[in-house]
Amino acid sequence: MTTSSSTASRYRLFLERFPVRKFVLILLAIVIAYGAAAGSIATLQLGRFSSEVWINLFISGVARGSVYAIIALGYTLVYGILFIINFAHGEVFMAGAFTAYFVAVGLDSAGMLASSPIISIALLFLVSSVVSMTVAILLERIAYRPLRGAPRLVPLITAIGASLFLQYTFRGFYGANARAYPTIPAIQGTWNILGYDFQKVHVISILGAVALWLVLYWIVERTRVGRAMRAVGEDREIAALMGVDVDRTIVFTFAVGGALAGAAGILYVFLFNQVHFFMGFFPGIKAFTAAVLGGIGSITGAALGGLILGILETVGPNLFLDGAGVPSPNQLIPIVAFGILVLVLIFLPGGFLGAPEDKRA
Amino acid sequence: MTGAQKRSIRQGLISGAIVIYLGLVGMLVAFDARAIVTGILNFATVLIAITYGGFAYLSGNRGKHGAPAQPALIAGTITGAVAGATVGVFTLVVNFLTETLGWNVRNMFTSINNALLEFFTFGQSPVVGALLMVMFGLVAGLVSGSLHLMSTTNRKVVVMGLTASVFGALGAPLFKVMLDGLNIPNRWLFERDGLTLIGAITLFVVFAAARMGSLRVGGPRQALLKVPGTTEKNLRWVITALALFGIAILPWIVNDFVSDVLGFVGLYILLGLGLNIVVGFAGLLDLGYVAFYAVGAYSVALLTARSSILVGGAVTSPAVAAYTNFWVAIPITIVIAVLIGVAIGAPVLRLRGDYLAIVTLGFGEIIRTLVLSDWLKSTFGGPQGLTEVTSAPFFGLNTRDPQILYYLIYAFAGFALFISYRLKTSRVGRAWAAMREDEDIAEGMGVSVIKYKLLAFATGAAVGSLGGAFFAAKLSVANPGSFTLLVSINVLAVVVLGGIGSIPGVVVGSLVLVGLPELLREFGEFRLHIYGAILIAIMILKPEGLIPDKRRALELHQSDHQPEKSVLSAAATEGVQ
Repeated sequence: MTTSSSTASRYRLFLERFPVRKFVLILLAIVIAYGAAAGSIATLQLGRFSSEVWINLFISGVARGSVYAIIALGYTLVYGILFIINFAHGEVFMAGAFTAYFVAVGLDSAGMLASSPIISIALLFLVSSVVSMTVAILLERIAYRPLRGAPRLVPLITAIGASLFLQYTFRGFYGANARAYPTIPAIQGTWNILGYDFQKVHVISILGAVALWLVLYWIVERTRVGRAMRAVGEDREIAALMGVDVDRTIVFTFAVGGALAGAAGILYVFLFNQVHFFMGFFPGIKAFTAAVLGGIGSITGAALGGLILGILETVGPNLFLDGAGVPSPNQLIPIVAFGILVLVLIFLPGGFLGAPEDKRA
Repeated sequence: MTGAQKRSIRQGLISGAIVIYLGLVGMLVAFDARAIVTGILNFATVLIAITYGGFAYLSGNRGKHGAPAQPALIAGTITGAVAGATVGVFTLVVNFLTETLGWNVRNMFTSINNALLEFFTFGQSPVVGALLMVMFGLVAGLVSGSLHLMSTTNRKVVVMGLTASVFGALGAPLFKVMLDGLNIPNRWLFERDGLTLIGAITLFVVFAAARMGSLRVGGPRQALLKVPGTTEKNLRWVITALALFGIAILPWIVNDFVSDVLGFVGLYILLGLGLNIVVGFAGLLDLGYVAFYAVGAYSVALLTARSSILVGGAVTSPAVAAYTNFWVAIPITIVIAVLIGVAIGAPVLRLRGDYLAIVTLGFGEIIRTLVLSDWLKSTFGGPQGLTEVTSAPFFGLNTRDPQILYYLIYAFAGFALFISYRLKTSRVGRAWAAMREDEDIAEGMGVSVIKYKLLAFATGAAVGSLGGAFFAAKLSVANPGSFTLLVSINVLAVVVLGGIGSIPGVVVGSLVLVGLPELLREFGEFRLHIYGAILIAIMILKPEGLIPDKRRALELHQSDHQPEKSVLSAAATEGVQ
């Protein structure tokens, strides 16, 4: 009897000193790192892509990543203040871009897209942002506000429902077909910067995203309502006692996140040219991944996470898998995003710039 | 204007907006094709009457302090008229845009068509139609406001009768098939897809009378217990026996199509029971449940199928193929699913609930992407999938026949039901309950959280893979198109509607969410739309679901004691929602 219990405790001691889980994880990390390194070396040795191609992949990754970053800001803002994952944020993004499509068509048939591109683009951003903002505010009012203080999984289930509901609402409104945005001649073609040809849309998307990020940073860090947002995120009750209107601040957070998502929708359309009622879902999840990667709750983290994810998505499959002999590696792009999400949550739950997960409420 | 009047007007505007929304997404036109009373009343009309009336009834509710704010009739009338006016203004604006300005609104809103405008204007000219709509709203509001004047009993009786008529009509195609199957003459009751006028009145009277009777003796259960010689115990036995008998004869009184639908319902019962173990018992939200469904289908396909795959222009057989029997494949499939469940679960179980949900969603998508890719095409067949999965051999019967497969599926569903019940009250079930209520405390009390989480994942995976196995055997193919994220969400909706953690809830949820939309063609198109709405509405209004699990209901209502929620419920009774 005593011997068996002492072996059991010895076994337990052994487990504590050498936790199996940790070893498995380290092993997993080594395998993945080795696979990525071996694949990259093999690809580079094959030399199928010139350096020009790599730079283009990189830039398109940065462009894509900056769109993810702007959507990710919406997740991060809401998470930072309410600690819920606004799963329907991707649909907020879709709503703006899809609605602005009709404005774009109208402008196109009036010849405005060609004759005065700046005004028309500004108008597109405005419409898209306003629509997305409205959807975000309604979402908060109808789906999330009644559930504040409910068990954590409850608002997540509502969010999934809201995501589905919004997708099919817009399908009902605007039809089930994918629609191609009319082209804006002014932003077609390339610019030659430092001897390389860069697509104009890539450059514009990156610059637009940087501008939006700076505006948000200014709002959160420098304005009164930004301070209220941070205070509510820190401690809702104390903030209320200090005279912050909590409801109003939360609505404002959703509104800002929505407006950013709407603007990101137009940047996304510049890159991908198409709108569809389901277009928001995967960018939404990828942006969430970006937010987690950078550290959810952190504004700088969202930007960082978005860029890393975007670059890994465009460069990654070609670099890691092509040399390993995987046919059509770009089919596996979704695995990049989800794989990163899983790995980050396993190895670095707080992301790069966030608080460690356990510390959070 | 008093606050109460403002509230009535607000309710009217909201209900008008809802009706416009229903029109814009195309529901009204689609539902206009579904008769309630054939030739007299269509479902779309009933739907807008219910919307107007429902809000009108709410606006007649007592105010915050219990005193009647204003006469219910007036409140209802105001709300109804405002609602009708909102819709009327909408049709006038649309008419102005199209006729006067020459805009083609249809280019944007695909559902604004002549059928919708005709429906909103009752086929009259725009102005007359708008006025008629106001009248319609006013009458609907007045009628439902007058419900406030009745005694509680009478109100319940009337509402029951109306509900029975509407549901009887919606289920008419199914009931008709069943009555035909039983050789009961039903021409007086049903006409085409709806009720006859006599049928509607009969249903109303019968159900209203039944409700009245049962209210008088305190509920149907009490009424049955009044019969001499019945006790709680033997009543339960009789009900179980009747239910079993009903399930056993069902395929023979309906046609093949309905049997097929019932087979699907059975599959979802299986999947729902599996997910219920993970979400309901252990409290882990798994959004990648479809992964196990896919694992089940693909394992059975790999183990039994005689499929051929097109790789690089050449037809080959899959890289892995065993050509075994379905019944040999089943245990192997379950083992594979359990292993994959543990492999997915182990690294992520330390994560907090909402992160876990997203990560499982990610795993589901990873599995789907892999199966779909060219890379693994030689094993899984890419987008086309694996074909010619053998059916389940069963004493020489053709198990592709929906009526035979029905029994197999329900036998397994019954088995899963039995396991669920046994697990729930076992030591394992109690450990799950402790863990889900407070992980730290459970761990402190000696519950090995990781072990029990893995056990939940593994059990859920095993049950889900069974569903997948039958799915593959039923359709004889396993292809990635059947295993999208939507399946995970559908199963989640089934569990949530029935009640998280509630075993009978899964059965009811499957019947309502999977069975009904298949039978009601007009709903089928809006199925996912309605699922989304149900997920939101249930979580806000009745988070414990239709058939609540007692313990879970308590947990979900814990937050009611927190101050924020009470502010909310005050707002809800005030009718701000």
